[in-house]
Amino acid sequence: MMLTREINRLVTAVFIIFGIITLAAAYWATIGPGTILEREDNPRLVEAEAAIRRGGIFDRSGDQLAISVVDENNRVTREYFYPETSSILGYSSLRYGVSGAESAYNPIIRGDNAEQSVVEQLLQNALHQPQVGSDIQLSLDLQIQQALQASMDGYVGAAVVLAVPSGEVLGLISLPTFDPNTLDQNWELLVASADKPFFNRVLQGQYQPGGTLETPLMALALATDSNLLASTTANATAPVTINDLTITCALRLPALELSLRDAYAFACPAPFVQLTQDLPEQSVQDSLRFFSTSNRVTLPGFESAPLNPPVNLPAGVEPHSLAEVALGQAQLTVTPLQMAVMAAGIINDGNAPQPRALLATRPPDASNWTPNQTTYPTIPFTTEQTARQLQDLMRNTVVNGAALNAARPGIDIGGHVTLSYSGDETQSWFIGFATLPGRRGIATAVIIENNDDPGLAADIGGTILAAAHDELIQAAR
Amino acid sequence: MIAVHNAQQPRQTTSLTERVLLLIGAVFLVANFLALAVINNRWNFTHWTHMLVWLACAWVGHRWLNRSLPDRDPIIFPITMFLSGWGLVIIDRLAPGFADRQSLWLIAGTIALLLTACLPYGIRWLRTYRYILLFAGLLLLIATIILGRNPSGLSGAPQLWLGAGSIYFQPSEALKIILVGFLASYLAEQYPALRAEGLSSRQRILILSPRVFGPILLMWGISIVILIWQRDLGTAILFFVVFLILLYVASGSVWILLSGAVLIAVAGFAAYHLFSVVQLRVDIWLNPWPESDGRAYQIVQSLMAFAAGGIFGQGLGQGLPNYIPVVHSDFILAALAEEWGLLGIVSLIACIVTLVIRGLQIAITRHAQPFQAMLAVGLSMLIATQSILIMAGVLKLIPLTGVTLPFMSYGGSSLLITFIMVGILLRLSSTEDKTR
Repeated sequence: MMLTREINRLVTAVFIIFGIITLAAAYWATIGPGTILEREDNPRLVEAEAAIRRGGIFDRSGDQLAISVVDENNRVTREYFYPETSSILGYSSLRYGVSGAESAYNPIIRGDNAEQSVVEQLLQNALHQPQVGSDIQLSLDLQIQQALQASMDGYVGAAVVLAVPSGEVLGLISLPTFDPNTLDQNWELLVASADKPFFNRVLQGQYQPGGTLETPLMALALATDSNLLASTTANATAPVTINDLTITCALRLPALELSLRDAYAFACPAPFVQLTQDLPEQSVQDSLRFFSTSNRVTLPGFESAPLNPPVNLPAGVEPHSLAEVALGQAQLTVTPLQMAVMAAGIINDGNAPQPRALLATRPPDASNWTPNQTTYPTIPFTTEQTARQLQDLMRNTVVNGAALNAARPGIDIGGHVTLSYSGDETQSWFIGFATLPGRRGIATAVIIENNDDPGLAADIGGTILAAAHDELIQAAR
Repeated sequence: MIAVHNAQQPRQTTSLTERVLLLIGAVFLVANFLALAVINNRWNFTHWTHMLVWLACAWVGHRWLNRSLPDRDPIIFPITMFLSGWGLVIIDRLAPGFADRQSLWLIAGTIALLLTACLPYGIRWLRTYRYILLFAGLLLLIATIILGRNPSGLSGAPQLWLGAGSIYFQPSEALKIILVGFLASYLAEQYPALRAEGLSSRQRILILSPRVFGPILLMWGISIVILIWQRDLGTAILFFVVFLILLYVASGSVWILLSGAVLIAVAGFAAYHLFSVVQLRVDIWLNPWPESDGRAYQIVQSLMAFAAGGIFGQGLGQGLPNYIPVVHSDFILAALAEEWGLLGIVSLIACIVTLVIRGLQIAITRHAQPFQAMLAVGLSMLIATQSILIMAGVLKLIPLTGVTLPFMSYGGSSLLITFIMVGILLRLSSTEDKTR
């Protein structure tokens, strides 16, 4: 039959070509999800991310700090009620990602690890229900956090408050900070800002410890020979010069002979230089091991400072003298969190608790909180006896020494103020504690940049400790 | 392979088959429009006008065809309506503003289909006045080259439309029918010579070269003109491929296809080096990934839509095909893939293949009438080739050529002309057809 042969061949060709097209469609439909859908330029990833209902963030007493709000077009926005909590909450932005607690507990808040039955999962996929995350409860106390913000307002610096013996972070502030509600609009400005508002000084700040190392040196001295405490140094208030740096007492004092105890109270460097010469060098180095790499203290999940590099000096460079090391002006740097943990170790009879910020989680449809059971071992700082002696020394510093401004009536406060130096800048430090009934307490570390007034740091420390003390006493009632 | 169409098929069976198929299509479309209403929370009357327009077109068309062409092919009209209805759903979902216009074009297309199918002398005119029609078609083409515009008004966009105000028409669409009609008529005349006994396929080409190469050169010339002046790669390829197929069917010579393929390759090679638009499309076809956020954005997003759809699809209104630029036109297949998945694609391909096969089946039943047979082959292969060009392009099997998916893509001219083509096929399928 004319034409029929050619048309039948056309039919075969049509089947073959459409068959190939079907195979190509099948290829992309089955191979695609594991390959091209994972590409960063897939807008579906952003849409899927934007649809996630992140869980809320609450403080320890149940105050709402952040929630996800869904509008009538199913657009989700993150709302932060207290911008002063941003140092610990961080931010969650579709464009710029997550940071802080939003990052540390991201899988929980997003609901990535939510337990779902197969039926629930199928239903969620079929009905395109958005992923819903769990609420989290932080150990943060909103009242204490607000006290931190109020007392540090206007300064560049950092402060952190820990509960003892739990190690729970009650307040954490790094200034200047940012408002996560307007993050997207202000991003470029914030990134360009010289004060680095995204840099969390409490967790990432690598400061020269300066005179704060007098506390571990005192611990060493007490453990070695408690009579050293009464030993005196002639002209103890004289400044010490290392290279071009002149280090003085925390307060301007006339030339005096002071005991080691009083030298600690006024953070005078000369007697501690003397002490390092009297003690074996190895034991001095060992006393600072608390801050070295092995015992690096971090807040789990949060971005932290890099570990202190091992001391491998380039050829031709003179190693730091023991005096420089002991006066906290050598390679060793510390974070304010480490200092607060050390203070916590002192009132916890020598055992420093690991800091923690997550108290509990609550799945989307649950009404009760599930406590976070993760436990962390304590870090040995010193012996119980030495710790108690240190407590007394720190109380004395507040009552009679340079940390006088930290004293608050009716509250048992101990502390220590010093200065440290980074290049041309001076920072004032306060580390301290307040005790609570039932062998509990509060520890804090405060650092104020570009400030050489330890009285200010002590005053802020006292305010913070008093606020935390009152809040916890009230909460216990 | 294909059984000869049973000319004595009972009329009642034709009507019943068509009615059942239309009903199945209607159920699918009502369910989809309902889903769309639920998702968008649109319960006003306008939302349903598109569905009502479709129902009216299907019902009127079915009744009219029952009366005028009772022994027509019972599959072609339901598939045409089903595919255009499905297209309407997708356009309504992607760009609701365009769905109103598409509904109007559906009405116009249905009327044109019915007139073509039922007017007794329509096809005869195509044959009798072929030179006048060809001349008119070429005039239209020249007019487009001179006066062509783009309804979007964007500078740099292909200017393939004629018109004013809010009504535009793409003359190259009308040229499809005119050229296929002309070639079918011409080749039907040459058919006895082309099929002369005692000639090997190579001899046929050599001996009849002026007869063969005359139209080849004409078509090649038209295609090149379209390509050079209009930058319309898709239409140029479409015309040339369909012409080659017709010449092959008329002559039975495989050499025609081979030499045509060589011509396409040569033209393609030259076009790659001469025209930036061709170069761009070939480059992003070969490797779209490095430029996924630039020149290859459209094709990469299209492939992602296929991947996101998977086997079962995301569900109507649940995908994100709107990330593909002009998705409601050239890339409607990708939107379908994302929301109906591979199952939807397979169903669509099955429908198109069935339609094409039914068209070729009509050609076989008309083998004794070369013009009608060639016309059926030409129209069926136009639909097939156009579908293949856009489907394979969207799936990165070949470079993108910028043609619409027949019946489904947004576009009035395309829908109207495809419906007229279907009308001709329906007319040819009727054993009562008196046209000779």
